[in-house]
Amino acid sequence: MNPLLPKPATIVDIIRETGDVKTFRVVLDDPEEMAAWTHKPGQTAMLSVFGVGEAMFCLASSPTCRDWLEFSIRRAGKVTSALHELEPEAKIGVRGPYGNHFPYENMQGKNLLVIGGGIGLAPLRPLVNFMLAPENRQHYGNIEVIYGARSYGDLCYKEEVFRVWPQAPGVSVFTTIDAPEEGWSGHVGFVPAYVEELKPSPENKFVVICGPPVMIRFTLKALGELGFEEKQIYTTLEMRMKCGIGKCGRCNVGARFVCRDGPVFNLAELKELPPEY
Amino acid sequence: MDSKLLKKEKLLPLLDELRKEFLLVAPVEEDALLFYRPVESVAEIKLGSGRSVVPPKEWFFPQAESLYRYSTEGGGLVLEETLAATPAVLFGIHPCDLRSFAVLDAVFLQEPVDRYYTLRREKTVIIGISCTAVCPECFCSAYGISPVEGTGADVHLSEVGAVYMVEVLTPKGKELVARYQEFFEDQVAGVAEAKEARKETLSGQFTVRVTVDGLPAKLGSLFDHPYWEELSRRCLGCGICTYVCPTCHCFDITDVCRGFEGKRFRCWDACLFRDYTLHTSGHNPRHALYQRLRNRFFHKLKYNHDRYAIEGCVGCGRCVALCPVNIDIREVIATVRGLGE
Ligand SMILES: Cc1cc2nc3c(=O)[nH]c(=O)nc-3n(C[C@H](O)[C@H](O)[C@H](O)COP(=O)(O)OP(=O)(O)OC[C@H]3O[C@@H](n4cnc5c(N)ncnc54)[C@H](O)[C@@H]3O)c2cc1C
Ligand code: SF4
Ligand code: SF4
Ligand code: FES
Repeated sequence: MNPLLPKPATIVDIIRETGDVKTFRVVLDDPEEMAAWTHKPGQTAMLSVFGVGEAMFCLASSPTCRDWLEFSIRRAGKVTSALHELEPEAKIGVRGPYGNHFPYENMQGKNLLVIGGGIGLAPLRPLVNFMLAPENRQHYGNIEVIYGARSYGDLCYKEEVFRVWPQAPGVSVFTTIDAPEEGWSGHVGFVPAYVEELKPSPENKFVVICGPPVMIRFTLKALGELGFEEKQIYTTLEMRMKCGIGKCGRCNVGARFVCRDGPVFNLAELKELPPEY
Repeated sequence: MDSKLLKKEKLLPLLDELRKEFLLVAPVEEDALLFYRPVESVAEIKLGSGRSVVPPKEWFFPQAESLYRYSTEGGGLVLEETLAATPAVLFGIHPCDLRSFAVLDAVFLQEPVDRYYTLRREKTVIIGISCTAVCPECFCSAYGISPVEGTGADVHLSEVGAVYMVEVLTPKGKELVARYQEFFEDQVAGVAEAKEARKETLSGQFTVRVTVDGLPAKLGSLFDHPYWEELSRRCLGCGICTYVCPTCHCFDITDVCRGFEGKRFRCWDACLFRDYTLHTSGHNPRHALYQRLRNRFFHKLKYNHDRYAIEGCVGCGRCVALCPVNIDIREVIATVRGLGE
């Protein structure tokens, strides 16, 4: 097995989420490899556009979805733009899954608070859908989702956020957009302020949070004031990555490689690391 | 451990025999600089050489290597691994570089193993050689490395008068020596003692005494010390110190593509470069040179130790000798040990 060699795969469907984010449904070409593929919520994979390069993305689909893998990708540089140019049937390469995962084992019997901003919901979504899968639902408590974006158009996974999740028993979804907009009757304001307003209780709960750095910074402050402890709060880090397997060196934060020791860290663990991320 | 003798005049004939069976990689001089290269004739080999400019790690982990080829002809996708490893003998490796292989092993042989490195490593027999003099910049003894010890080699040679003392250190080495036994003779009294005496002499030759005890822990408290910014003021960020370092393992992966045919390859990279950690968003976790220089020293002197329980520096002195502005890791170590006390 050569971990640097991608597996050939085909894009089977492309869903436009926002102006600059598309979700790609991908199937590995070898049916056996597709059947053998397993990942855990929070893990990542390296996608290849041949002739352009590779880039790292989190798996946006739940491990319980066996038909395809999903990646939600924002157009940013070379590889992401090349991906955005592709149509269904296009061939890409996939290698992974990489990294650690949200501690869904320890989360059993607990409630979950999900806080996302924009495309930052992508790494958190597989955790929610994993917990909502019929075979797992009984092991987890209530799920609260606080999700915001600049505008309605910038919210991803609208079908799930506005229909599927709110209808699931024990799930509450709170959405917000930064500024008022015609046709939007929901909450208006930044995520940290909405968290302060909603005052979620820290009782018997884990928090997973991902989004723009400013959102995370101010939300963490709000959570601290509400009595949440560092060990309850998990987030994912991003560093530039090449190998994904702890060899090329570039994703280090202190002695940790984010690609294999991360991307998921709780705040207590982050405090131990030098602030180089 | 088995011990044999090899008469000095038999070394080249032995290497010549080896060359017929294996790809022989040995120290050669190119424009007065020393490299390890595959040789066609033993006449090319620079015997009695000291430290190479580029470390011999490039045999296992080349500066640039193809990972695989791809073809996207007709909307399809065909991938073809470009793994290549010929049975080889890597000759003339000094003790510091022998240790560097253990440092690289910790990275590349960790699961999931790096196939390219592993395959070459498996197919290579390493013949080590003791140092006959101590280079002015080296400080391997700080890491418990002895200039006459062959740990990490399969077979190790130490020059003693008119012979080499031959230490057979691994099953691979044993097989090699057995296969070419006509070249070797039995150990005679006095040779091992002479080698020990050489060790004593060499130990006295290190120009700078370096102590690294407690350094990883000490560094932990100095991350925010102004010393790093001060040190970085003269650093050029050229990355030479990383390119010549036998334990640096960072690499970049890129594509070369013409039409439907392309190759993905990897090449050495360096944490001293700004692009190394630059995010697509423009955010850079180590945007300032002092942060990158600090990362290099922390990696060598702390992170590697913390992560793999093996020191990330082997004291070869290459970075000391080749840094254009004389940034000297021995001085850095001494300064750090003195800071805050
Ligand atoms: C763990 C992890 C999970 C991620 N998950 C997601 C996800 O789910 N969805 C998502 O959209 N993104 C995700 N990302 C981010 C994604 O990996 C990046 O957006 C992507 O790598 C950008 O690649 P690119 O080829 O499009 O940009 P590139 O074109 O590679 O650009 C990268 C940046 O590097 C710099 N650069 C590159 N080459 C040069 C050069 N020669 N000279 C100077 N500067 C240069 C530029 O600043 C450029 O903007 C994740 C990242 C990580 C680490
Ligand atoms: S840091 Fe310098 S002295 Fe240490 S192993 Fe690397 S090149 Fe040699
Ligand atoms: S060789 Fe010297 S100047 Fe160049 S990056 Fe290294 S420390 Fe800086
Ligand atoms: S991406 Fe290569 S070490 Fe993490």
